[in-house]
Amino acid sequence: MFGQLSLTARLTALYTLVSACVLVGLGFLVSYAVIRHFVELDTDYLKDKIDLVRTIVGDSRSPTIAMTRLDELLTSHRGLLVELRNNAEKVYGEKGSVLSTLPSSIGADGRTFDWRVGDQSLRGLRAALRPPASWPGQAADRAPLELLIALDTAHHTHFMQSLRRTLALYLIGAILISGLLGWWAARRGLEPLRVIRERTMTVTAQKLDQRMPVEAVPVEFADLAQGLNDMLGRLQADFSRLQEFSGDLAHELRTPINNLLTQTQVSLAQKRDVSVYQDILASNAEELQRLARMVSDMLFLAKTEHGIELPNRETVSLIDEVRDLFEFYEALAEEKQIVMEADGNAHIVCDRLMIRRAISNLLSNAIRYSPPNGPVRVSVTQGDGQIQLCVHNAGPAIPAADLPRLFDRFYRAEKSRSYPDSEGTGLGLSIIRAIMEAHGGTASVASNDQMTTFCLCFSTWALTSMA
Amino acid sequence: MKILIVEDEPKAGNYLSQGLREAGFAVDLVTNGIDGLHHGLEGDHDLVILDVMLPGMDGWQVLRNLRSHGRQMPVLFLTARDQVEDRVKGLELGADDYLVKPFSFAELLARVRTVLRRGRSGLEPTSMKVADLELDLLRRRVTRSGKRIDLTAKEFGLLELLMRRHGEVLPRSLIASQVWDVNFDSDTNVIEVAMRRLRAKVDDAFEPRLIQTVRGMGYVLEAPEHTH
Repeated sequence: MFGQLSLTARLTALYTLVSACVLVGLGFLVSYAVIRHFVELDTDYLKDKIDLVRTIVGDSRSPTIAMTRLDELLTSHRGLLVELRNNAEKVYGEKGSVLSTLPSSIGADGRTFDWRVGDQSLRGLRAALRPPASWPGQAADRAPLELLIALDTAHHTHFMQSLRRTLALYLIGAILISGLLGWWAARRGLEPLRVIRERTMTVTAQKLDQRMPVEAVPVEFADLAQGLNDMLGRLQADFSRLQEFSGDLAHELRTPINNLLTQTQVSLAQKRDVSVYQDILASNAEELQRLARMVSDMLFLAKTEHGIELPNRETVSLIDEVRDLFEFYEALAEEKQIVMEADGNAHIVCDRLMIRRAISNLLSNAIRYSPPNGPVRVSVTQGDGQIQLCVHNAGPAIPAADLPRLFDRFYRAEKSRSYPDSEGTGLGLSIIRAIMEAHGGTASVASNDQMTTFCLCFSTWALTSMA
Repeated sequence: MKILIVEDEPKAGNYLSQGLREAGFAVDLVTNGIDGLHHGLEGDHDLVILDVMLPGMDGWQVLRNLRSHGRQMPVLFLTARDQVEDRVKGLELGADDYLVKPFSFAELLARVRTVLRRGRSGLEPTSMKVADLELDLLRRRVTRSGKRIDLTAKEFGLLELLMRRHGEVLPRSLIASQVWDVNFDSDTNVIEVAMRRLRAKVDDAFEPRLIQTVRGMGYVLEAPEHTH
């Protein structure tokens, strides 16, 4: 469920959570500091008042005068409570004051103490007080008076309550605003993604030239945009090759179909001898066989290029296949007085029929383009993690510009190289490439003035993984 | 020899039956799977040519039903799809051969004859003779009018095929497959050249010429009295 949540929502939630934690922590810190501060203030105040009471008592000549002056003090300090005790017996203090009910155990350690009575909150302090010697009945060995002094802290409580309310409101507001800001920032940060998405929406088969704006997006997205651009580049190249190919296919089929149609219609236009009809039909049959071969080659290519699982795998001696095929092409080679020779050997695991077909295509190609008396040599070499089968034939160089496209379907280097016997379908080399790719290998060509060499290159690694 | 053709495409069915009739077979043609099964069960056909995609009941089902009713006549499948799985399925169900459209009629005819010949071959002949051409399989020797002719191993194989099936038109693909084990189309005229060289040795110095080219079809070896 979390996986489906939008990135913006996730970032906003995280941002809000973090700011809430920080702000709530800060709120607690502030209220704690304020409370501490109040305690310190109150302690100072109470100590101050204890000193004052001491001074008043010390300066008074009699307890009565002291009482009167203490009463005056209390009227001018609202919320202050004072009680004097002598041997746990109240000698001064308001009648019914909450101080009277305070157990003697509380605050005995000389530190401030808090307690509540009813709805009253109090903070108090105990101290000892020695009355002046002039007071009646005052003797040096008499126990000092006990002074209890307290402060009503209701105003602190009020303040804290309102502080907490203010803080809470502020926190809620701040969290909401930071959440909003987080959402905005996330949205803005992810804006380039939206741009990329909109750009991808405009890509169609006809508009594969669209590219993502790599410079306009932040570095984090630049890699993604670059990756998409590379993908588009590959698709565009493949697609245009496919388009070119279907155009070529239509053209390749149109010519023979047109010939057949014209020939058939012309021959139907008037009565002819039986032998003429036989001739025409035979010629049609030949043309149709070529078409059928083209279609079956196309199907073979389509299947092989779809990354088929090799139907049969067996260990094959390459040189044996080459020699078998030499026997097949023997008659053709001898006609052109071409000497075929082969050397080296290697064993590979492959689909025998396919590899045979690839080698056969290479040999027929070499014999076709070799000049009379020129040699056709096959070499099989092994090493460096690969096995190579190369077919060399003498003959004029293939222009360098044509080399990379030679394995494309229906590609013919130049008119003079086109099939003189019109037997070929223009798919021979493409079939070689497709077969090699199905075996995890490659097909390549090199050509110079003396020699043209086609190589089938198997990687031993790919072969072992297939076996 | 009686052949049942089950093919729903009327043009293809008619041409097939015409061609096979002219080649000397008796032919029944039906255009759907249910009729095909009915004829296959009721009739006494020596061979069934079965299209895979059929209305009513497909070729696989027809074959399965025929076999489950104990009909063991050879079956040759025709299909527009060339998938390895299909091929395997057909062979598992007991089909005897498999042809992918488009195929040449010469190819079909050759396969039909191969399938029909299978299983009823008696003793392998040790020698063959057509007109004055003799082929000795044991000593691998060829003579014509008593004269010894020297052939390479493959030329001998080629002549052996032509003589074994004399009178039949053999398509190039069948020749390449049987003699050289090349089971794919070569984009060269290598068969023509090989045939020309064989003729130069077997036919050129003699009368009459035994090896004929049938344009658009293939090659046939036959004595002149068989020609019409």
